[in-house]
This record gives sequence, structure tokens and C-alpha cells, in this order.
Amino acid sequence: MQDILAKVQGAFHDAFGIDPQSVSFETGPDDVPGWDSAGHLFLVSNLEQALGVNLDVDDVMEMETVRDIVRVIQAKLAA
Amino acid sequence: MNESETPPSTNFAGRLVRRLGKLSYLIDAATGEAIVPSDLGRLISSFGANLLSAGLKPGDPIVIGCVLSPASSIAYLGAMYAGLVPVPVEESKLPLAGNVLLNRVAAKALWTEKLCTFDWKCPEGFDFIFGHPSEMPAGTIPPAPRQEDDLAALVATSGSSDVPRFVMVSHGNLIANTEAIIRSQHLENDERAMLILPVSYCFGASVLHTHLYSGGGVVFDRRFMFPDKVLHAVNRYECTTFAGVPTVYNILLRRSNIRSIALPGLRRFLQAGGPLAPQHVQEMRSIVPAARFYVMYGQTEATSRISCLDPENLHQKLGSVGQKLDNLTVQILDAEEQAVPAGQTGEIVVRGPSVSLGYLNEPEATRRAFKDGWLHTGDLGRLDEDGYIWIEGRKGAFLKVRGVRVNFAEVEARVAAVPGVYECSAAAVAHPEAGEALVLYIVPDKTADRVAERVRRSLPVHWTCDSIRIVSELPKTSSGKVSREALAREGNRAS
Repeated sequence: MQDILAKVQGAFHDAFGIDPQSVSFETGPDDVPGWDSAGHLFLVSNLEQALGVNLDVDDVMEMETVRDIVRVIQAKLAA
Repeated sequence: MNESETPPSTNFAGRLVRRLGKLSYLIDAATGEAIVPSDLGRLISSFGANLLSAGLKPGDPIVIGCVLSPASSIAYLGAMYAGLVPVPVEESKLPLAGNVLLNRVAAKALWTEKLCTFDWKCPEGFDFIFGHPSEMPAGTIPPAPRQEDDLAALVATSGSSDVPRFVMVSHGNLIANTEAIIRSQHLENDERAMLILPVSYCFGASVLHTHLYSGGGVVFDRRFMFPDKVLHAVNRYECTTFAGVPTVYNILLRRSNIRSIALPGLRRFLQAGGPLAPQHVQEMRSIVPAARFYVMYGQTEATSRISCLDPENLHQKLGSVGQKLDNLTVQILDAEEQAVPAGQTGEIVVRGPSVSLGYLNEPEATRRAFKDGWLHTGDLGRLDEDGYIWIEGRKGAFLKVRGVRVNFAEVEARVAAVPGVYECSAAAVAHPEAGEALVLYIVPDKTADRVAERVRRSLPVHWTCDSIRIVSELPKTSSGKVSREALAREGNRAS
């Protein structure tokens, strides 16, 4: 789980240019400047690249916090 | 307020308040907060009264920190109602560039919904006002008397830089454009718009204005990163209008479940802010056939909208931005600024009561864009025999990424500052989600490595970059300038 979080933090850094350490499980769109509808698309494509997963429409809809993102990706990797 | 005795005000917000109807709700979809119609007019008026009792005067600019919410819309309209000049700015822009913005517009005050702290210092004698209008002392005032030519708002052009250019919009501009838009969209008195575009953007503001002015209401939703939530909110709040820029429709088509979420109450889609591919317009039509699809064209310099494609003729005129609004005159000018006949391409110029007063503190730019009452849009296009406008390109050197203007010069300056870059030129290519995206041609320093990677990391998130091409030199014109035409040819060949 920490491993996934580290990669998610990296994807946040690439998408929004923020300090990876500032990204925690509780981080949500209100905490990250640029995490709007367009930013979400950057984030999704960065996550797909960093973790080698394919995220579909329903996955993307569920990703409301970093915790959700890690959960969705964990499920993908386990499947 | 006694409505029967006073003559119709030329204060736009005053006029709007008089026309609010029994469906004029403002709703925040994320929280469910609703301002009910019986409170809305009173809150607009009392917010204005509060500004005056804080010592502000009619004509004073006040920056309104906007989020997609009822409160910031009330603050914006309330300031205008009291005769002040609201400057709507996205609240998220304030931490970085707020002080520069305040100085640029010579603001006397700043309002935000919540108490914000900024790193920069407020100018001397400056009021920082915060709080939800409903939590401020009550007490209403009549709308401040304003003439048609009086400044109503300062509206940022949809530029990408942190400190934008401001357009001076008058009360008369707003009244004329709002009424013409209402006619062109056939708005009834029972409309409700879903607004996901900020009110600081002229298209977003026009949706707020037209729906309240015709007696309807507006639902705000800042959750478009989860598009299905917004689609469900359209149904939950029985919205009749949905407004978006091309990126919004591209996201709906590719990243939402719009094909399985029926939208039975929706009457119309509004689309502006750059070209949406005709096949995407048709796709939207086939997915939601009951909603009429309005393609529109506009500019902040013309208050908001300039033309509208009547949905009855959408199929026949697909690719056009429609006919001019009924109170405007549109002409196409050649390089000698002579009007050309139908079918010929030139610069689109516009005249009429919604052509704005010009740019704030930029007499030279104003003189170039506003000549003898004609707004020179910088857009290239033609009129067909039926008077439909077909946009073919832009005179100015900018591209539109996700509906936002990005200046090539600004991009090039930013990229040229990256260590290892010797020379750079930017071009635009069509992009499935962003509408247009950047292609960067970079001549690296001889010794530099990983330049492309460093450049990519230096770009702001909102500058979608399609590709970075490392080249040994840039094509130049005879005068030594980089030839954009040659670059565009090269880009098309390569892609």
C-alpha cells in the first residue's frame, strides 16, 4: 500500500508540480491547486503510466481522494 | 422594494433584480445550499448596502474572489447593484497574483466568501471584506442610478497569464447582450441552468445573467472532474440548460457515462469558447436528441456572445457559429479594412450596443481593437449568403487550450528560459480533449541533454503539450522572424 502511495505521490507531482510528501491519504481536490476537471485528466493519465493500469470511466469517477485512488488501483492490480 | 413606481433602471443588476421570478433559485449542487427566490433580490441589495456602509462608493472597483457558488454570484451582482465595479476573479488566482491584480484594477476592496490569508500585503487604505452575504447585516437599498455608458464590471479576457487584460463592460453592454442572448436561445421564465464555468469567465457570467434576467435560476457545480456527478445533478435539480466549452463536451463524450444517464428535462446545450469538432456536436445530438444544441461565438470584448447557430439549422450549417445576434452588425474586412462580399475570408468586425468600452488602462490596445465603434475581433472568417459566420482562424498569435487563450509569445518566453534551450517556437495542433494543444520546436544548446524532459516539466498544467520536437534550426522568414507558416506545414507533415 505504501508502495502504491509513493507512486501516486509521484503522479501528483508530475500532474500538479506539488511536493510529493504533501500528498496524504486525506488529500482531495480542494487541497491541490489545479486539481479540477482538466487536472483530473492529467492525473489519470499520469497514474496509468506510473502504475501500468488502465482506468475506465467508472474508476475515474470514484477517485475523489488519494485514499480512493489507492483503493481503486489496489483493486486493479489484484484483479 | 417598491417595484411599481420607479422607472426601469439602467443599472444592469438593478434591472436583473426586478426581473427575478418565482423560480430564481441559486443552488450549490455540491452542498445542497439553496438561496430561495424570495431571498435572492434582498441579498443582492443588502450586500450592496453593506459595501456602501463600509465606506465604498459607486464607481469603486472591488475584486470578487469567485468560486462556483451562490455567494460569489450574489456578491458580484450586489456590488454592481450598489454602483460599484465588480472585478470577478477566480479565488484560486488570488494567492499567487492577487496583489498585482488589485493594483492593476486600482481596487478599493477585495471580497472573498471565506477568510483567506495571503502572502502579499494589502495596499494602504484597502478593505478586505469576507463572508457569505446572508450572514451580513440586512437592510436594502434601491439600485444605484447608472447611465448606459457607466462602467458595470471589469472582466478578464480568457488569457492564460496570471495577470490578465481587463475589458471595461458597461451597464448598457450587459443589458443589450443579455436581452439579445435570451431571444436567441428562446429562454422562458422557467429555466434553470447548470453552471460549471466560472462567473469570472464571460461565458459563465452570461449564463448567470440570462437565466436570472429571464426569471429562472442557476445551479452551480464545481465537481466537473467527476462528470457523472454533474449529470446526476442536472437531473436532481431539473436543469433545463447546460453550458460548456469544447473541453467540457469532449470530457462528457469520452470520460462520462452520458450514454447511460438519461437527461429527460434538459432543453438545451450551449457551446462556446472555441470550435467543437462537428462530429462531436453530432454525437451529443444523437446521445441527447431531445435537447437542442446551440453553437455560439463570442468575445469578452463584445461583453459575451456575438453569434448563435439556431438549432433548427444546425444540421444544414454544421461547422458555422451561426448568425449575429439581432442587435449587432457583423462585417468581414480585408487587409485594407474594406468590407468584402459573402464567401470571402477576412477579419470579423462587430458593431452594436454590446461592444464594450475597451481595455482598462491600455489606450493603444483599445485604439487598435476598437475603431469607430467597430470591434476588430482578430478572428478570421467569412459570411455565407445567408449571413452565417464561418470561423477560419485567428489573426492574433495564440491558441486555445481547453477554451483558454494561450499566447505563443508567452509560451516561447517560458520555454526559452529553461536551461539548455537555445531557441524555441510554439505551434498549435488539434487535440482530442484540449481542442488545441502545443507543439514545441526546440533548438537545444549543443551540450545540453534531456532538454525535452526539462521543458515538459517546466510547463504549467493548463498548457497541454502534444509533443516536443528537437530540431537543429527553426525556419525563418526573410526578416529573420520564425516562420509560423513553415512550422505549421512541418507540424502537419509530421503528425
